[in-house]
Amino acid sequence: MSRRLAIAIACFLVAAAVVVLLPFELDGYHEGLAAKVAIFFIAVLGLNILTGYTGQISIGHGAFMAIGGYTTVIMSHDHHTNLLLTLPLAFVIAFGFGVIVGIPALRFSGVYLALVTFAFAVSVPQFALKFSTFLGGSTGIQTATAPGHLWLYVVSWSCAGILFLVAWLVLRGRTGRAFRSIRDSEIAATASGVTLPIYKTLAFGISAAFAGVAGSLFVLATNGFAQPNEFGVFLSLELLVGAAVAGFGSLWGVLVGAIFIALLPTVSADVPLIGSAHGQDVVFGLIVIGVMLLLPTGFAGLLQRLRTLPGIRTAEKEG
Amino acid sequence: MGMKGRMLAAFAGALVVAAVAVTAAFGARQADPGVTATSVTIGGTFPLTGVASLYKTIPAAEKAYFDYVNDHGGVNGRKINFDILDDGYNPAQTVPLTQQLVEQTKVFADFGSLGTPSNLSIWGYLNSNKVPQVLIATGDSYWGFSYKKYPWTIGWQPDYPGEGKIYGKYLDAKMPSAKIGVLYQNDAFGKNYYAGLRVGLGAKKSNVVSAQSYDPSQTNVTQQILALKSAGANVLVIFALPTQAITALVTATKVGWTPDATLLGNVSANRLFLLAAAANGANVDGVISSAYTVSSTYAPQANLPGVKLAKAIIGQYAPSLVASLNQGDGNVIYGLGAAWTFVYALQHAGKTPTRAGLMAALKSMHNVNNPFTYPGIRMNTSATDNFPIEQEILVKWAGGAGGDWTPFGSLYSGVR
Repeated sequence: MSRRLAIAIACFLVAAAVVVLLPFELDGYHEGLAAKVAIFFIAVLGLNILTGYTGQISIGHGAFMAIGGYTTVIMSHDHHTNLLLTLPLAFVIAFGFGVIVGIPALRFSGVYLALVTFAFAVSVPQFALKFSTFLGGSTGIQTATAPGHLWLYVVSWSCAGILFLVAWLVLRGRTGRAFRSIRDSEIAATASGVTLPIYKTLAFGISAAFAGVAGSLFVLATNGFAQPNEFGVFLSLELLVGAAVAGFGSLWGVLVGAIFIALLPTVSADVPLIGSAHGQDVVFGLIVIGVMLLLPTGFAGLLQRLRTLPGIRTAEKEG
Repeated sequence: MGMKGRMLAAFAGALVVAAVAVTAAFGARQADPGVTATSVTIGGTFPLTGVASLYKTIPAAEKAYFDYVNDHGGVNGRKINFDILDDGYNPAQTVPLTQQLVEQTKVFADFGSLGTPSNLSIWGYLNSNKVPQVLIATGDSYWGFSYKKYPWTIGWQPDYPGEGKIYGKYLDAKMPSAKIGVLYQNDAFGKNYYAGLRVGLGAKKSNVVSAQSYDPSQTNVTQQILALKSAGANVLVIFALPTQAITALVTATKVGWTPDATLLGNVSANRLFLLAAAANGANVDGVISSAYTVSSTYAPQANLPGVKLAKAIIGQYAPSLVASLNQGDGNVIYGLGAAWTFVYALQHAGKTPTRAGLMAALKSMHNVNNPFTYPGIRMNTSATDNFPIEQEILVKWAGGAGGDWTPFGSLYSGVR
């Protein structure tokens, strides 16, 4: 264990060093793109805790992002709260909503749970239209101040670092074992003394809280502007794609999944002929299909395979 | 960033240093971003896909107009490159795409970007970077009124409250004892229209017997129409987006309600929408709306220079839009008119155009005659008047399912 821990800490420190040094190399525009990677990193990380580790499918995480995003905007717009303070608030509120949505998960599983969360993703943005005086309606609503590229970069990656540590601490201990046991067999988990209702709703809560923080930052990256179209169903699907590319049930693949969904739309728009305008989504789809064919277990699966190659085999197996 | 990337960055850095040194040495004034000796690069974000993709003919028509100008020598020898980006009517896309236009493509101006939410999301960003956000395709009144805080932004079309005011004035003059029922969208867009209507009605605003709102997420407005009918209204005023407006017209007919007059906000008055409503059984004869552009289908205007020019340009530079134009898709004419205005401003923005010069030109238009606007309309702006078009004509529908709008009365002025 100690050797794996050392490798993990080394990887984390290298990643942190790269993140700290990167702004010196990047211009403002690319800082913005890099911040987007951090934002999707947080969201995919959250989704992975729920889907990858606990085995509960959610096609509704865009809705938790909406809840976090609107929390930030309302606090800043109505109460002039410091933008930084709105982030923990988004965490807490999204956690609460996550627990509530997690309750149906006690009765549903698999495709049915996916449908419940899908319905959630469809209905949440409608609330902004229904309560348009408070939430800005289709015109949208904006924070009192909008952050610049560097602010966004620093805050997003700081949040990503902190939440990555939180996820790691949660998953490596007793709670993480309970999550994984639920994923592998609910009956066996119950038999081993895991209280399903508590751990399932807890997984939903943590996962949603991560998405909530991502949503706050997502809105701040949109110049502090929240509007229902930003949180369409496609956003939830993108997160699921990100988690699949990352590889369910692994923390290290998440970065690749996040880079994938944060940057691919921008990159695919530059593909000549079909990339511009209309073809953007086509390119995105084609690459997703390609990645899933070549790496059915995601990037984490690739790492796993590399690790089992002769010569670089490590003593322990991925848990 | 790899070795190659770092070397490139270092190389680029060296180039910048060299460029700055050269510029400083010669004391030359650097041109504004996007301007070279032979070109001006501009860009905008538009919903080419998604919920509002109906509007995609606007940037296509604008591009056609710029291509036409470029083929005739450009503006002061510079060709206009127009970068059209698809934001799917989603501000979360508008923002990074606009940053791309400003910081990577380095456009001279953000031109014609479409949608109120999209433009609101980049409003502060463009103004703090002093990038012109001009002739944007939205009829909200913020753009015209907020010139002190947002001096780099200007719209083009008449605003919604002003248009609502015209309908109020019309009803006040022609139907002083009308019982008015209003259907409006429950957000800033619908409320602005409705507020304008009440201003126009003046003392007669008590004639509004019922006002029903719907949430933008709703497409069924049957409840609201029934409520207006049972309130005894004999005039129906519709301030709605196209889908709900078409539904309202169809529903009114289906529940057996024939108001003495029906007024329709012009965002939903594209000829194509009325044809759709009629095809679905609505009685659309006598519906009143307003217009500020020429019509490509109204026979008496066929010989206007603007209509002829529109047909020639679209035929040569955007053949895929010919069908739309021939069916009276007002968005094509709208795009040509906005692009015309941009070219006009660019011509007056200095021999080597500057961003400040462009804004000054747009804010000092004096009786400018745009061939694509309704005959008699003149564009007027000043430092404190940032509404280019403030005149509109009322139009009435005749001819049912194969019909068209016919202008009537005289131009209303001071619309805003």
